[in-house]
Amino acid sequence: MLQYVLIEHPFFALTSLLYLASTIAYGVAWVSESRLPGRAGTSLMVAGVVLNTAVIAGRWLEAGRAPFKSLFESLVFFAFCIALLYVVFERLYKTRLFGVAAGLMTFGSMAYALAKWDAEIVKLPPALQSGWFVPHVMVYFVGYAAVAIATGVAVVQLLASRIPFVHRLTTMKAGSVLSGEPLDLDRIAYDAVRFGFVLLTIGLLVGSVWAKSAWGDFWVWDPKENWSLVTWLIYGAYLHLRKVRGWRGDRAAWLAIIGFAVVMFTYLGISILPTAEESAHVYTNT
Amino acid sequence: MSTTPTTTGPAPEATASAAEREAGLTTLLVFGAMTVGAVLQIWIPPGPTTLVAATGIASLVVLGLSFVVPGRLRSTLSGFRFVSSLLIALAFFAILGTLILQGKPAELYRAKYPAVAGLILALRFDDIFHGLPYAGLMALFGAGILASASLRWPVSARRAGFFIVHVGLLISGAGAAASSMLSVRGRVDLFAGGDVAHQVRVTRSGVPTGAREDLPFQLKLDQFDLVNYETEYRVGFYEKTRIVREGVAMDDYKLRTSFDPDLDWHRLPQGDRFRLKAIYPDFELVQRMSPAAAGPPAMLVTLAGRPHWLQPGESAMTPDGTLAVLFGEQRPAPAPGPSTSVLVSATEQQVVVHRADGDATLPLTGGLSLLGGAVRIDQLLAHSARGAVYQTRSSEWRNPAVVFETELNGRPAEQLATAAQPRGVFLRDGRAALVFEKREKEVKAFLSHVTAGQGPTMARAIISVNDPFEFGGWTLYQVNYNPEDPTYSGLEAVRDPGVLWVFVGFALICAGVFYMLYIEPRMRGGGIDRQAPSAPSAPAPS
Repeated sequence: MLQYVLIEHPFFALTSLLYLASTIAYGVAWVSESRLPGRAGTSLMVAGVVLNTAVIAGRWLEAGRAPFKSLFESLVFFAFCIALLYVVFERLYKTRLFGVAAGLMTFGSMAYALAKWDAEIVKLPPALQSGWFVPHVMVYFVGYAAVAIATGVAVVQLLASRIPFVHRLTTMKAGSVLSGEPLDLDRIAYDAVRFGFVLLTIGLLVGSVWAKSAWGDFWVWDPKENWSLVTWLIYGAYLHLRKVRGWRGDRAAWLAIIGFAVVMFTYLGISILPTAEESAHVYTNT
Repeated sequence: MSTTPTTTGPAPEATASAAEREAGLTTLLVFGAMTVGAVLQIWIPPGPTTLVAATGIASLVVLGLSFVVPGRLRSTLSGFRFVSSLLIALAFFAILGTLILQGKPAELYRAKYPAVAGLILALRFDDIFHGLPYAGLMALFGAGILASASLRWPVSARRAGFFIVHVGLLISGAGAAASSMLSVRGRVDLFAGGDVAHQVRVTRSGVPTGAREDLPFQLKLDQFDLVNYETEYRVGFYEKTRIVREGVAMDDYKLRTSFDPDLDWHRLPQGDRFRLKAIYPDFELVQRMSPAAAGPPAMLVTLAGRPHWLQPGESAMTPDGTLAVLFGEQRPAPAPGPSTSVLVSATEQQVVVHRADGDATLPLTGGLSLLGGAVRIDQLLAHSARGAVYQTRSSEWRNPAVVFETELNGRPAEQLATAAQPRGVFLRDGRAALVFEKREKEVKAFLSHVTAGQGPTMARAIISVNDPFEFGGWTLYQVNYNPEDPTYSGLEAVRDPGVLWVFVGFALICAGVFYMLYIEPRMRGGGIDRQAPSAPSAPAPS
């Protein structure tokens, strides 16, 4: 399989390898006094984003449509969104601490795409030939990527309060934290969830408007709709609890992780539900 | 529902007592709503009307009580403990609705969930989102939003986001209620060529109710277009996988990937290689005769303009059956049907033109022309070997075929495959296969060209999926077609007075969420979360 992917899909393979290499480099930066591994991690991640863009653009041209139809295509796009958003977060918060988490998620997404290998280009059915298709999917996946990063931060936050080594990482200057200031992990996670929540809200409502224009119903209690609503309620609860009840630290971190678990079920797990066969959202195998 | 961090509170004993009372009231309200709904449901069947009516009435009753009854009911309704409990209950119902098939006949539940079918049907979990327990929760939700929004009045710019979201929720909820109560939807089936509809067949959850609703206009289907994607040819790679179909486990070939038909070498997922050694867009198999050191003689004869290679014992005949050429080692016997037979003897090197009125004999030579050019002997081979060659009649993809060259574990193999009769080139003991296949008739679009007329007003439109047509207060959606009958068009007609309000509510929710999370913190200068509030002591009032 590896030989096949390397020869037939070299950009996909190279993108995956870049994400893996950046994960390793970010990992080395955790224990290194030098800035070099961290910089290498960033460079490799940026190179991964560039190549991932090429993979998406190439497939877009080859298929003659936006490459968001199959599970394979969505996983490649998900990896892209996480990587791109991570690079922005790295610049914004001046830290490479979450590079390992982001790298693992981007590489994990590509590895899952490889494991489920569903790269066949399929035609777009009439229902998906809509102006809403691209914004709906894009908004949702950027939102998913934001809450994925929030989850990475939440994991680091939980580990930092338990493992001295991780705690030290959040304050060290060389390698991971560029600013030299101790990181406010809670704040970073909140910012990511906040951004993701806005996008999840827009995505949910845009999907509803699209459903109305396609079938005449804005809500049909489709399993994906219901689980998206549950996801929205969880992150809504996260924001509310933080604001009203002052949830911080471990409790907020656990809620962010639970929210992401539900996001992943909404994304990948719907097909195991008994009602999945009636859903318009389940990724079908070719 | 509240967003105000509680930074101060009463004495600890009073706080604990208030929190206990709030928890008790929350439990009473949430479980009470579900229980009352479940009991009432024995007499009142679920449905959109039930949901909206029950939600509306219960919502107003609870809200009214919260204003007139002394105590903490109103602050509880707008408090976080109540809202979080309510949202957990709503999420539970939403999840349950994805675990149990909705709106199916009772027999299906008995067959699919034999152990719990009775419970599902008794609690009406077969229509969970239109049932009274769900209506009870929605009523509390509506009351909570109203109570919370009312406590926020008057609105300040620094806290407008919360209010906008709640107004959005109320407006979209009211719009959804109007949709459920007042909307009409149904099917309009038309056939191209001027078929006219004046009514819709009313449906509920996609099932016809038997009722009909008059359209305030007439709708004519002028034309129906079923547009397919262009036919394409691909090399598909299939792998045998274990699947479960209708409860039975079986092996089936699943398409793993496919390749363009080109002449390059390709690597397959399980490691083997293949290429298309040759591609014939308009394939034909042509017989060829070649000289050999040993073997029977052969003759190339052109009969009525068509070439034929003949070996001893073989013959060729004109399409009208009047003239035949027969070839033999010795002089062959004349054919019984044709009026003229040309009998060629390889050993005697003679050609006999046999007619009813007599025979004429000639020596056999290459280039011999007979019967005014109707028969010409072009070539003679003393010894021959017969073979076949593949070629293409034209460059158009009329009857494409390819020659697969595979390399399995380093062993090369070749096989012809035609798209007209796709047969797999099996690999790895049949666990995988390459197939040269034609892909066609994938529907790209289906379009109804319609004319709608209401009095003197006429409108023409093309309706397709994602591009509905609005006329006379109705919206017409393209939902169906029949691949067996290209004149049939299935349309869905919907009259929905609530949808506009639903979308207005959506816009407000989006705007409010953005305002609340990004604008308000800036107004407060430095962000809402710079300082963590102390643990609240009571339900956060709004």
